Amino acid sequence: MLINAVIIVLREVLEASLIMSLFLAYSQHVTVSRLWLLLGIVLGGLFAWAYAAHISTFSNWFDGVGQEVINAGLQLAIYFILLGFITQALIGVSKPIQRITLISLMVLGIVLASIREGTEIVLFITGFSAAPDLLQAVLIGSSIGAGIGMSVGVCIYYLLVTMTFKNSVRLGYVLTLLIAAAMISQVVQQLIQADWIISQYPLWDTSNWINERSLVGQLLYALIGYEATPTPIQVSAYFSAIAMIVFVSFYQLSRHTK
Amino acid sequence: MRSIRTYLLLALLAIITLVTFVSLLKGYQSSIEKAQQLFDDRLKNIAGIIANANQDTQPRTAGVFELSPGVFFQIWSDDFMLLAHSNNAPLIQLFDIDNDSPFNDINFSGYRWRSYTLQDTTLNRWIIVGERDDIRYTLAENVVLASIIPIVLAIPVAALIIWVAIGLGLKPLRELSEQLNNKQADDLSPVVMRETPKELTQLVTTTNALLDRLNAAFLREQQFSTDAAHELRTPISALKVQVHNLQTAHKFNDQEIESLALGIDRMGHVIEQILALYRHSPDQPLMKLTPLDLCAISQHVIAKHYDQIALKQQQISMVGEEKCLIKGNKFALETLLDNVILNASKYTPDSSEIRIGIFQNNQSVKLVIEDSGPGVEEHDYDRVFERFYRGKGDQHDSGTVGCGLGLAIVKHIVSIHHATISLDRCADLGGLKIVITFPK
Repeated sequence: MLINAVIIVLREVLEASLIMSLFLAYSQHVTVSRLWLLLGIVLGGLFAWAYAAHISTFSNWFDGVGQEVINAGLQLAIYFILLGFITQALIGVSKPIQRITLISLMVLGIVLASIREGTEIVLFITGFSAAPDLLQAVLIGSSIGAGIGMSVGVCIYYLLVTMTFKNSVRLGYVLTLLIAAAMISQVVQQLIQADWIISQYPLWDTSNWINERSLVGQLLYALIGYEATPTPIQVSAYFSAIAMIVFVSFYQLSRHTK
Repeated sequence: MRSIRTYLLLALLAIITLVTFVSLLKGYQSSIEKAQQLFDDRLKNIAGIIANANQDTQPRTAGVFELSPGVFFQIWSDDFMLLAHSNNAPLIQLFDIDNDSPFNDINFSGYRWRSYTLQDTTLNRWIIVGERDDIRYTLAENVVLASIIPIVLAIPVAALIIWVAIGLGLKPLRELSEQLNNKQADDLSPVVMRETPKELTQLVTTTNALLDRLNAAFLREQQFSTDAAHELRTPISALKVQVHNLQTAHKFNDQEIESLALGIDRMGHVIEQILALYRHSPDQPLMKLTPLDLCAISQHVIAKHYDQIALKQQQISMVGEEKCLIKGNKFALETLLDNVILNASKYTPDSSEIRIGIFQNNQSVKLVIEDSGPGVEEHDYDRVFERFYRGKGDQHDSGTVGCGLGLAIVKHIVSIHHATISLDRCADLGGLKIVITFPK
């Protein structure tokens, strides 16, 4: 049970901490106040708790696939926030309106990521409250998963802030692309689970090389949306998501520099 | 990086947590595998004990063996007849008994079981022993968890110890920072640390060398100022005497000689003011502030210039306190009062009024200089403190000797005394009102 708890909590915490590291590092470089982070976490935590408390109601929506559809919606929203964030970060925040836009996007991103990831953790841990024999292993596993997830986030944050601004933006851009594409891959997966998208045979199977449930597999899942057995629609959605960010961000950048 | 201490704490803690937890997971997996091997060995032994303890070769007609719910056994004959079994064992074969693998994972009664099959070749029987997987796993996990919990709980303790250790490590840096922060403006003595760590040696050496050079530069400038004052005043005084002699000996009294005398006066005034401006620059670290009575200094300065003021039939009065102590430099305060009083006299017409007021409360002392002259335009309030700025430019109509440095000097002196200065229009006299507020 400890390993299950580690894997589930690590997957959720890692995703949220990577997004937070990107936002925090950029804020540090352009000296934007980081109080919004606290605001985003508190708001996200409250919404996550409320969402988890009424999960049975939400699950009954859309003919019993409400949870999958809401999760897909949240991840789609996070994708568009990351798209907006990276475009704004490339253009710069010299004007007050640009700063306000960036801060709003970051707060919203943190709130949505906290709701998405926080709900999964709350549901997982509270699910074991009726099984006190397993609760200790679940709590210890959750602590280990959260510890690893947050530590990776801290390492990436310090890697980004100790770099020069130019290199930090480059690495931040690549990371944002991968995390955003991973979000879209998960959206497709959730919609397949909800039967809104037809299930297909996987394009390939790499579970013998890197198992999805291993530590490396989970790290890659959060970072690049690694799937051992992706369907063709997942693969095409993944690369389309990358192409869209590249196109929109560079189109905006060229328009701005003119 | 906003704080070295926070950076070191978070970076170290993240790395320690990452390395420890990943090792912990590896250790956990290895321990669980080891425990499963031990449980498998135990199953083997139990099967052996049953084979020796039970000699049944015909099916039992009555009596089953009572066992705990987590363990079962079956004894099958060579022709696959069930000879004996425990109370919780299934009565059927759940897998091919004669397959190659002695260990099998099977499902029955809603649980997954791990079984071991022993072939008893002496009595031509098969002995199957099984244990519930979940019980084995929980047992193994509880044993491993007992060793993991202290390590997980040690992380917050490690965070606390790292925080304190970094604090101690950064102590010399804090000491150096405090020393520099607490240095008085006039203290250019070298920084002396009780023990200078290797990493700070270069910083301390460079800082001390800079302080030393700064001190030497100030002393050199002070010497230059004294020499310049002496070297410039002497020839100007000699020139004044020569002009006077020229006027009296040759009885010249025409416009050109007057202009020459006025030019020499103006040059002397400019030199005095430039020297005063330099001496009272806020950058000067060598000025000592001592408790002084502002009223007494003001009276002294008024008395010094009384003749000049009386010459223009101007009225000068002093109101407010009789004694007012502030921390200041006598020479600088006299220069300040010289400038504001002479300015008031110079730039107001004959028979006008000048009023000096000194008032105090618990926090501050206010020096107020008011006159009934034309005052200063409001848009010039900031500019009059600039060097060489004179209201109305070169067309200044006061006809007095001036160079536009007086209020710049006043501002420097105000700054040295950590005071504030503001300009306003005097409500009752109608001229300029200067308010200088000194802290007590």
